[in-house]
Amino acid sequence: MIAALLFATAALPSGPIDFKARDMRIDPQERRVFLEGDVQLARDDLKVTGQHAVAEYAKARPAARTKGRGKGVRGEAGIGGQTVERFIVKGNVHVERGTRTADGEQGVVDVPGQTLVLTGTPESPPVVRDGSETLSGDRILLRLDSEDVDVIRPRVVLKRSLAEEGSARPTPVKVEAEHLVLLKAKQLARFNDDVVLRRGDAVARSPRMEARYDADGQLTRLELRGGVDVRQGDRRATGQSADYDPHARTLVLLGDPKLYDQGDVLTGDRIDLALDSKEVRVERARGRLRPEIHRDEKGLQ
Amino acid sequence: MGSQTVRAVLGLLSPCLASACGTPVNPTVSAISTQVDAPDLSLHGVAFARLSEGQVVARGTADRLDYRRAGGRVVASHGAGVVYPLPGTSLAQFGTVRFVANDVDGEVPNRRGTASGNVRMETTRGDSATTERIECEGDLLRSNVPVAAKGPGYRVEANGLLAKTDGSSIKLTQGVKGQLDVEGRR
Repeated sequence: MIAALLFATAALPSGPIDFKARDMRIDPQERRVFLEGDVQLARDDLKVTGQHAVAEYAKARPAARTKGRGKGVRGEAGIGGQTVERFIVKGNVHVERGTRTADGEQGVVDVPGQTLVLTGTPESPPVVRDGSETLSGDRILLRLDSEDVDVIRPRVVLKRSLAEEGSARPTPVKVEAEHLVLLKAKQLARFNDDVVLRRGDAVARSPRMEARYDADGQLTRLELRGGVDVRQGDRRATGQSADYDPHARTLVLLGDPKLYDQGDVLTGDRIDLALDSKEVRVERARGRLRPEIHRDEKGLQ
Repeated sequence: MGSQTVRAVLGLLSPCLASACGTPVNPTVSAISTQVDAPDLSLHGVAFARLSEGQVVARGTADRLDYRRAGGRVVASHGAGVVYPLPGTSLAQFGTVRFVANDVDGEVPNRRGTASGNVRMETTRGDSATTERIECEGDLLRSNVPVAAKGPGYRVEANGLLAKTDGSSIKLTQGVKGQLDVEGRR
């Protein structure tokens, strides 16, 4: 999903917003216009629909003449007294832009800020889709002047990390965090605060994580930083940082890495965890092993 | 908004016509035979004004204006009016409001009227609106035919209008579409 969002269409151009609705109520005193019933807002490749919308006008300010507009005085009155600076759309809000769509219960278009913020309910959180890819969260901010996206408490499946040859049903990588920022220019997804990465029975926790993509939108690396705690079954590993290679499907722990496996404690310069085979490789290993605990385990090499 | 002027025109016509007609004439003693629906007063090349506290708050013209005392009915052709909104009112932000219509038909006592035929409103702020028919009743304006309006920062087409004559509420109805200019980047 993130890869698709990082490689979506061009930025929003300038120009007036087209609208359609069943009714339009103008409130000059409050400097607002209310659009009611099957509201549509469109500006080039951006389309926003909903049941109701409020267009809020900028506060009055001294008019300044604009070059090339002989008649008009820019910044003077629109219907409600100024040009519109914010649209609030409510009720089954649907957003389309290029190949990307988004849905929520409320959408706020901040034109000067060039943002569109989608919110929903706990039962129906806002969602962004790009093809089959889906990203949801408590609050989704879409930048209108770039393809960047800012998500509060994202819930995302890294589908483009699923290139697992010969596997009928690839194991999805799911990520939860308090905050996600998608930065298109850097081909980067930055997760912050209580990041939880789940892949099969493996769960990694870290304060922050960056997902990096190549030019084709394929995930190339996950970088967990600020202290990492990984659990898979009875096994636990910790380190200052960890890198996940989606092709090799290995997690490499660095920075005083430690592996706890039942009574065993291993440390080394680097610990590689193969998430599928559950094989562990420790460089310059040292530690304490308690073989008697593993006496009844089958298949232990 | 344009038809708010209808009300204003009706309002300013009322005292003017009352004084122009003078004492009621008993038709039974009329020396002149007139057609049944003849107006009690018919004026050509009419110009009138409404004063409030020594100031002109509205004025208007009409090619022809017929007044019938029965029902206080006024029929004007090629009417035009100008309203100067009082400062602080909702209408004041639009500046002077000018209004023209091919035909105006009203009942002054009932504060009811209809403007039809290329009804057009313009304001000094740069707003303009056109429709083929608009009705005024009390403080309400209503149109059930297409309305087109444009001005600084907007353009809108609708299939109906419902508004208050003081400009405090303007509702375009029955399907609207148009454009709104948006504030640029901060």
